[in-house]
Amino acid sequence: MISIKQITPWKTALFILMLLPMLLGLGYGLLYSFGVIGLLNTGFTSEHWSDILLNFSFWKSLLFSFSIGLISVGISLVIALWMVVNWHHDLKKGKLSTLIYLPLAFPATVVGFFIFQSFSKAGFWSRFLYQIGIISEIEDFPSLVNDAYGIGIILASTFIITPFLSLILKGIFENEHVTKFQHIAKSLGASQRQVLMKITLPILLQKAKTSLFLFLIFVIGSYEIPLLLGRQNPKMITVAIVDKAQRFNLNDIPQAYAMAILYVLFLLFLFFGFQRLAKLKTKAYA
Amino acid sequence: MSEFLNIDDLSKTFEGQPILNGIHLSLESNTVLSILGKSGSGKTTLLKIIAGLEDADQGRISLEGKPVMTLKPQKRNIVYLYQEALLFPHLNVFENIAFGLRLQKKDQTEIEKRVIQMLGPLGLEHMKYKSPNQLSGGEKQRVAFGRAIIVEPKLLLLDEPFGALDVETRHSMQQLFKNLAKQLSISALFVTHDLKEAIIMGDDIGKIENGNYKAYTSKKEFYKDAKSGVTDEIDFWSNLQRGEFSKS
Amino acid sequence: MRKQIGQSIVGFIILFPIVFLLILSFGKQWFYPHILPNLWQTSQWESLFSPSFQLTKSLGLSLLLSISVGLVSTVTAFYFSKKIAYSYNKTTWQSLAYVPYLLSPIIFAVLIHFYFLKTGLSGSLLGVIIAQFLICFPFGIIICSTFWTSQIQSLENLSFTLGGSTTQTLKRVLLPLAKSTLLLCFFQCFLISWFEYGLTHFIGAGKVKTLTVSVFTYVNEANPFLAALAGFLLILPSVILLLVNKRLIFKTSKKHTDYE
Repeated sequence: MISIKQITPWKTALFILMLLPMLLGLGYGLLYSFGVIGLLNTGFTSEHWSDILLNFSFWKSLLFSFSIGLISVGISLVIALWMVVNWHHDLKKGKLSTLIYLPLAFPATVVGFFIFQSFSKAGFWSRFLYQIGIISEIEDFPSLVNDAYGIGIILASTFIITPFLSLILKGIFENEHVTKFQHIAKSLGASQRQVLMKITLPILLQKAKTSLFLFLIFVIGSYEIPLLLGRQNPKMITVAIVDKAQRFNLNDIPQAYAMAILYVLFLLFLFFGFQRLAKLKTKAYA
Repeated sequence: MSEFLNIDDLSKTFEGQPILNGIHLSLESNTVLSILGKSGSGKTTLLKIIAGLEDADQGRISLEGKPVMTLKPQKRNIVYLYQEALLFPHLNVFENIAFGLRLQKKDQTEIEKRVIQMLGPLGLEHMKYKSPNQLSGGEKQRVAFGRAIIVEPKLLLLDEPFGALDVETRHSMQQLFKNLAKQLSISALFVTHDLKEAIIMGDDIGKIENGNYKAYTSKKEFYKDAKSGVTDEIDFWSNLQRGEFSKS
Repeated sequence: MRKQIGQSIVGFIILFPIVFLLILSFGKQWFYPHILPNLWQTSQWESLFSPSFQLTKSLGLSLLLSISVGLVSTVTAFYFSKKIAYSYNKTTWQSLAYVPYLLSPIIFAVLIHFYFLKTGLSGSLLGVIIAQFLICFPFGIIICSTFWTSQIQSLENLSFTLGGSTTQTLKRVLLPLAKSTLLLCFFQCFLISWFEYGLTHFIGAGKVKTLTVSVFTYVNEANPFLAALAGFLLILPSVILLLVNKRLIFKTSKKHTDYE
């Protein structure tokens, strides 16, 4: 039902600015990964795709990124919820209300650098523990960065997300007049715990779910942090893709594009999964 | 006899639904035409089309004999007043009223003179530097009037301007408008869903219902029209007097 | 009492990085197991004042880059957000605006890199400006969309019927009321650009040395002191903005519109 009249100049311009680059990029990536264009490519082939789809380390990276994302957002959620529920007043007025904005001033690069300098074996906390006698050698300090579990990445991501999330939850708390509902529930006889479980948390989580999803995507797509705090195995997916794209080995480049497209598909998959999940949950409360 | 405002066969549909069906309407100069219509009747769309804020699918509108549909709203000299007095929040009372004059690049002395002149009859002399959020509903509506009238528009379109006000303020605003209209020889279309208000405010009456407009040649003809609801009102009050609503 | 301790811990966690960066930036040597650098210098801070110092050049470049991107993104976003808000498929366009963010900027850069190479924009400042703009501008649309309420639309129409032209209406009605939205949009886009690394490094081919790129360069050179200095400079604008008006960094409450 789109008539010619509706294709206005501004829509064309907007399409060009907002969507065309993405489509062009994906188009190029598709063609290159299928061997149709690009250096060393000899024509349509699905070998690069089968190489990647059957490649264990690709799936490992993808899964690794996804898990790190879930864990980081999960931890941040717990901390942020705790702060908003318990310190709601101080988050509105007072020192904490200003302090909580500060971490928003830190780019991922700086957070990554800071976490490295604090938690590496030669970092601040290692020296501190040495000074107070808890460890006697640099090796005794646990591997927290560039480690196999991505602890450093989780620390950094949590540091970035928690203040942001707290502010969002605080906003929801105020806009949804949660205090009023809490009072109503209490006057109906609800205990502290019931108020928390049946009023406060459901309201906050319901309204915050899109933000939580966006944070998950943010961690999965982060690049600077795994670059500074991750290691060769397991690699976060973004680092894996960029590595392949920048390798001297030209044969890797089609694979890099295939991986990039798979990454986009994965995000779409997550997005539709999220939509489904969100619909289910609202029905439960209807 | 050439009418001041002439609307011919005006129609508009939206998403397949007809909003206005071939409206024919005419207004003489220095007259206030009340249009009675409830929500969904198409009244707001009609006014917005006349003002140039929306397009019609077909039809002709002419003002003082000249066609108006091809003109942009700023060139039509027709002011549209919303139900909620929409004052510019970043300007005080004085500047709100002066707005149209500033657009015309009139000089400061003339603007001051004319605005201060306007404040008197509106009862706003002591409020000229107040900001909109310090005003009551009635005061805001008066500022909106002043702002509209000061640019001496050819036609004023009022879309239920007193709808949001309490009963007393409504009455005083109705009086104020009637007096100003006579004083300044204003031509206006006054749309309302309130039967009494329509009768009070207009020199003539019309009715819009489901996108169709019916003109009445006189108010008497309107009263006689059974569908106009006048008889219902009269019956209501007479029955009340006779005590037919006592508890059963 | 517990609250005091808890909040102090949070306060410490928040302030420690800033202090730590500052201290490191004055360091010259930091042998294990000293808690603080064992040798100090002020020379790197002093070098900031000489224009030939790499970090100073990076600072200047980052400022130029981010201000440009911020300005262009804000103006474009303001214009298009209005068109979208008054249009029929409003929600579709607004949802699509999230797409460039969802796709990690670095992956976006990998995919469109070819076009930058072909047009000779790869490795150039203009190329980086364009690439960053493509990421910032949709974000700007999301921010500016909140301004175009039905009340604003009515005020605009009102101005028209009072005789105002499109330009006059823009100047006298829309821009004054949009001030805080525009500022927020500018600063958000500025910060996205200011903080950006992956896309900048990739499209800029290492030649466009912004502050973030410098941090990585110094890290790779095993110079944590200059990296800390670069990092400190990176957080400086936001900290200043924060002290001026926290709402420029983040708008939490729907209650505070522009004109209340």
